[in-house]
Amino acid sequence: MKVIVELYGATKDLSDKNFLEFKLKNKVSIKDIKKEILNLIDKKFKGNQNYKKIINNSAFCSSKDNIVKENYIISKNEVIGIIPPIGGG
Amino acid sequence: MLHAKIIYSSKAKIQIKKAESFLSSSKFGAIIYFIGTVRSFNDNKKVTGITYDSKDTMVLKSFKEIYKEAGNKLKIKRKSVFIEHVKGYVPTKAKSIIIGVACEHRNEAYKLSRYIIEQVKKRTPIWKKEHYGNKKSLWLKGISLKK
Repeated sequence: MKVIVELYGATKDLSDKNFLEFKLKNKVSIKDIKKEILNLIDKKFKGNQNYKKIINNSAFCSSKDNIVKENYIISKNEVIGIIPPIGGG
Repeated sequence: MLHAKIIYSSKAKIQIKKAESFLSSSKFGAIIYFIGTVRSFNDNKKVTGITYDSKDTMVLKSFKEIYKEAGNKLKIKRKSVFIEHVKGYVPTKAKSIIIGVACEHRNEAYKLSRYIIEQVKKRTPIWKKEHYGNKKSLWLKGISLKK
Protein backbone atom coordinates (compact mmCIF):
# COMPACT_ATOMS: atom_id res chain seq x y z
CA MET A 1 0.00 0.00 0.00
CA LYS A 2 0.96 3.60 -0.47
CA VAL A 3 1.69 5.73 2.60
CA ILE A 4 2.10 9.48 2.40
CA VAL A 5 3.91 11.25 5.22
CA GLU A 6 3.40 15.01 5.34
CA LEU A 7 6.50 16.90 6.40
CA TYR A 8 6.60 19.84 8.79
CA GLY A 9 9.28 22.05 10.28
CA ALA A 10 12.81 20.70 10.04
CA THR A 11 11.66 17.50 8.33
CA LYS A 12 10.84 19.56 5.24
CA ASP A 13 14.57 19.44 4.51
CA LEU A 14 14.14 15.74 3.65
CA SER A 15 12.33 16.44 0.40
CA ASP A 16 11.74 19.24 -2.06
CA LYS A 17 8.08 18.30 -1.90
CA ASN A 18 6.22 18.69 1.38
CA PHE A 19 5.76 14.96 1.78
CA LEU A 20 7.40 11.55 1.49
CA GLU A 21 5.76 8.62 -0.23
CA PHE A 22 6.42 4.96 0.56
CA LYS A 23 5.12 1.80 -1.06
CA LEU A 24 4.90 -0.84 1.65
CA LYS A 25 3.19 -4.08 2.55
CA ASN A 26 -0.25 -3.96 4.14
CA LYS A 27 -0.52 -3.49 7.93
CA VAL A 28 2.18 -0.93 8.48
CA SER A 29 2.81 0.77 11.79
CA ILE A 30 4.37 4.13 12.61
CA LYS A 31 7.45 2.22 13.74
CA ASP A 32 7.81 0.80 10.19
CA ILE A 33 7.46 4.24 8.66
CA LYS A 34 10.06 5.62 11.01
CA LYS A 35 12.47 2.89 9.88
CA GLU A 36 11.78 3.77 6.24
CA ILE A 37 12.55 7.42 6.90
CA LEU A 38 15.77 6.55 8.72
CA ASN A 39 16.75 4.32 5.75
CA LEU A 40 16.05 7.18 3.41
CA ILE A 41 18.33 9.43 5.46
CA ASP A 42 21.07 6.79 5.19
CA LYS A 43 20.66 6.58 1.42
CA LYS A 44 19.94 10.19 0.45
CA PHE A 45 21.70 12.15 3.20
CA LYS A 46 24.69 9.93 4.07
CA GLY A 47 23.15 9.01 7.41
CA ASN A 48 23.02 12.64 8.58
CA GLN A 49 22.93 12.33 12.38
CA ASN A 50 21.10 15.59 12.88
CA TYR A 51 18.23 14.47 10.65
CA LYS A 52 18.13 11.10 12.40
CA LYS A 53 17.95 12.79 15.79
CA ILE A 54 15.03 14.90 14.61
CA ILE A 55 13.16 11.81 13.36
CA ASN A 56 13.81 9.95 16.60
CA ASN A 57 12.42 12.90 18.59
CA SER A 58 9.44 13.40 16.31
CA ALA A 59 5.85 12.48 16.98
CA PHE A 60 3.48 11.28 14.27
CA CYS A 61 -0.13 12.24 13.76
CA SER A 62 -3.01 10.36 12.19
CA SER A 63 -5.27 11.75 9.48
CA LYS A 64 -7.61 12.74 12.31
CA ASP A 65 -4.93 15.04 13.75
CA ASN A 66 -4.26 12.92 16.81
CA ILE A 67 -0.73 12.22 18.01
CA VAL A 68 -0.33 8.45 17.78
CA LYS A 69 2.02 5.89 19.31
CA GLU A 70 4.60 3.86 17.39
CA ASN A 71 2.37 0.77 17.33
CA TYR A 72 -0.43 2.65 15.57
CA ILE A 73 -1.45 0.78 12.43
CA ILE A 74 -1.85 3.00 9.41
CA SER A 75 -5.02 2.52 7.38
CA LYS A 76 -4.99 2.06 3.64
CA ASN A 77 -4.48 5.41 1.90
CA GLU A 78 -4.17 7.22 5.22
CA VAL A 79 -2.08 10.38 5.09
CA ILE A 80 -0.04 10.75 8.26
CA GLY A 81 2.07 13.66 9.43
CA ILE A 82 5.44 13.87 11.08
CA ILE A 83 5.56 16.33 13.94
CA PRO A 84 9.13 17.30 14.82
CA PRO A 85 9.76 19.04 18.17
CA ILE A 86 7.63 22.21 18.24
CA GLY A 87 8.36 25.75 19.32
CA GLY A 88 6.03 28.44 18.08
CA GLY A 89 4.80 31.65 19.61
CA MET B 1 -16.21 33.12 22.77
CA LEU B 2 -13.11 32.22 20.78
CA HIS B 3 -11.55 33.59 17.64
CA ALA B 4 -8.66 31.42 16.40
CA LYS B 5 -6.94 31.86 13.06
CA ILE B 6 -3.68 31.32 11.21
CA ILE B 7 -2.56 34.32 9.20
CA TYR B 8 -0.49 33.68 6.09
CA SER B 9 2.20 36.36 6.04
CA SER B 10 2.19 36.46 2.24
CA LYS B 11 -1.44 37.56 2.30
CA ALA B 12 -2.00 39.57 5.48
CA LYS B 13 -0.52 40.86 8.72
CA ILE B 14 -1.50 40.24 12.29
CA GLN B 15 -3.29 43.35 13.51
CA ILE B 16 -4.12 44.32 17.05
CA LYS B 17 -7.13 46.32 15.89
CA LYS B 18 -8.84 43.07 14.89
CA ALA B 19 -8.34 41.76 18.43
CA GLU B 20 -9.63 45.04 19.87
CA SER B 21 -12.70 44.88 17.69
CA PHE B 22 -13.40 41.25 18.63
CA LEU B 23 -12.87 41.71 22.38
CA SER B 24 -14.76 44.98 22.59
CA SER B 25 -17.86 43.10 21.52
CA SER B 26 -17.69 41.09 24.77
CA LYS B 27 -19.23 42.26 28.03
CA PHE B 28 -15.99 41.95 29.99
CA GLY B 29 -13.98 44.85 31.35
CA ALA B 30 -10.51 43.37 31.93
CA ILE B 31 -8.68 43.04 28.63
CA ILE B 32 -5.06 41.97 28.10
CA TYR B 33 -3.08 41.63 24.89
CA PHE B 34 0.03 39.52 24.55
CA ILE B 35 1.99 40.26 21.39
CA GLY B 36 4.91 38.11 20.30
CA THR B 37 7.35 39.67 17.85
CA VAL B 38 10.47 38.41 16.08
CA ARG B 39 13.54 39.47 18.05
CA SER B 40 16.63 40.68 16.24
CA PHE B 41 19.17 38.66 18.23
CA ASN B 42 19.13 35.05 19.37
CA ASP B 43 22.08 33.09 20.80
CA ASN B 44 24.41 35.98 19.91
CA LYS B 45 23.36 35.80 16.27
CA LYS B 46 21.79 38.64 14.33
CA VAL B 47 18.39 37.49 13.19
CA THR B 48 16.81 38.99 10.07
CA GLY B 49 13.53 37.11 10.25
CA ILE B 50 11.74 33.86 10.99
CA THR B 51 9.80 31.53 8.73
CA TYR B 52 6.95 29.93 10.65
CA ASP B 53 5.60 26.57 9.59
CA SER B 54 2.51 24.95 11.08
CA LYS B 55 0.16 22.03 10.79
CA ASP B 56 -2.86 24.24 10.46
CA THR B 57 -5.65 21.84 11.37
CA MET B 58 -3.81 20.73 14.51
CA VAL B 59 -2.99 24.31 15.45
CA LEU B 60 -6.63 25.32 15.38
CA LYS B 61 -7.60 22.15 17.24
CA SER B 62 -5.03 22.92 19.94
CA PHE B 63 -6.22 26.54 20.29
CA LYS B 64 -9.76 25.26 20.85
CA GLU B 65 -8.57 22.67 23.38
CA ILE B 66 -6.50 25.24 25.28
CA TYR B 67 -9.47 27.62 25.38
CA LYS B 68 -11.76 24.88 26.68
CA GLU B 69 -9.23 23.61 29.22
CA ALA B 70 -8.62 27.11 30.55
CA GLY B 71 -12.27 27.21 31.49
CA ASN B 72 -11.99 24.00 33.48
CA LYS B 73 -8.46 24.20 34.94
CA LEU B 74 -8.41 27.90 35.77
CA LYS B 75 -12.15 27.94 36.43
CA ILE B 76 -12.61 30.89 34.13
CA LYS B 77 -15.87 30.19 32.42
CA ARG B 78 -16.78 33.70 31.35
CA LYS B 79 -14.18 34.88 28.86
CA SER B 80 -13.47 35.96 25.32
CA VAL B 81 -10.23 34.92 23.64
CA PHE B 82 -8.62 36.07 20.40
CA ILE B 83 -5.64 34.08 19.07
CA GLU B 84 -3.92 34.64 15.76
CA HIS B 85 -0.58 33.11 14.78
CA VAL B 86 1.36 33.84 11.65
CA LYS B 87 2.56 31.33 9.05
CA GLY B 88 5.32 32.12 6.57
CA TYR B 89 8.17 34.63 6.65
CA VAL B 90 8.14 37.40 9.25
CA PRO B 91 10.91 40.02 9.47
CA THR B 92 12.37 41.12 12.81
CA LYS B 93 10.14 43.28 15.00
CA ALA B 94 7.00 42.15 13.16
CA LYS B 95 4.25 40.33 15.04
CA SER B 96 4.09 36.55 15.09
CA ILE B 97 1.24 36.03 17.55
CA ILE B 98 -1.49 37.96 19.30
CA ILE B 99 -3.35 36.58 22.26
CA GLY B 100 -6.10 38.84 23.47
CA VAL B 101 -8.21 37.91 26.45
CA ALA B 102 -11.21 39.55 28.05
CA CYS B 103 -12.50 38.50 31.48
CA GLU B 104 -14.64 39.94 34.22
CA HIS B 105 -11.66 40.75 36.47
CA ARG B 106 -7.97 41.55 35.93
CA ASN B 107 -6.62 38.63 37.97
CA GLU B 108 -8.41 36.17 35.70
CA ALA B 109 -7.30 38.00 32.57
CA TYR B 110 -3.61 37.92 33.58
CA LYS B 111 -3.81 34.23 34.49
CA LEU B 112 -5.61 33.30 31.31
CA SER B 113 -3.27 35.20 29.01
CA ARG B 114 -0.23 33.57 30.60
CA TYR B 115 -1.82 30.13 30.51
CA ILE B 116 -2.61 30.36 26.81
CA ILE B 117 0.85 31.44 25.65
CA GLU B 118 2.59 28.82 27.81
CA GLN B 119 0.33 26.07 26.45
CA VAL B 120 0.81 27.23 22.85
CA LYS B 121 4.59 26.99 23.36
CA LYS B 122 4.27 23.49 24.84
CA ARG B 123 1.84 21.79 22.51
CA THR B 124 0.83 23.70 19.38
CA PRO B 125 2.52 22.33 16.24
CA ILE B 126 4.32 25.43 15.01
CA TRP B 127 7.96 25.54 13.95
CA LYS B 128 10.47 28.34 13.49
CA LYS B 129 13.25 28.65 10.96
CA GLU B 130 15.52 31.52 11.91
CA HIS B 131 17.27 33.52 9.20
CA TYR B 132 20.58 35.27 9.93
CA GLY B 133 22.55 38.19 8.57
CA ASN B 134 25.03 35.84 6.86
CA LYS B 135 22.14 34.43 4.77
CA LYS B 136 22.21 31.14 6.66
CA SER B 137 19.10 29.75 8.32
CA LEU B 138 18.32 27.18 10.98
CA TRP B 139 15.27 25.31 12.23
CA LEU B 140 15.11 25.93 15.97
CA LYS B 141 15.07 23.11 18.48
CA GLY B 142 11.80 22.57 20.29
CA ILE B 143 9.69 20.39 22.53
CA SER B 144 8.96 16.81 21.47
CA LEU B 145 5.29 15.78 21.37
CA LYS B 146 6.26 12.12 21.10
CA LYS B 147 4.05 9.75 23.13
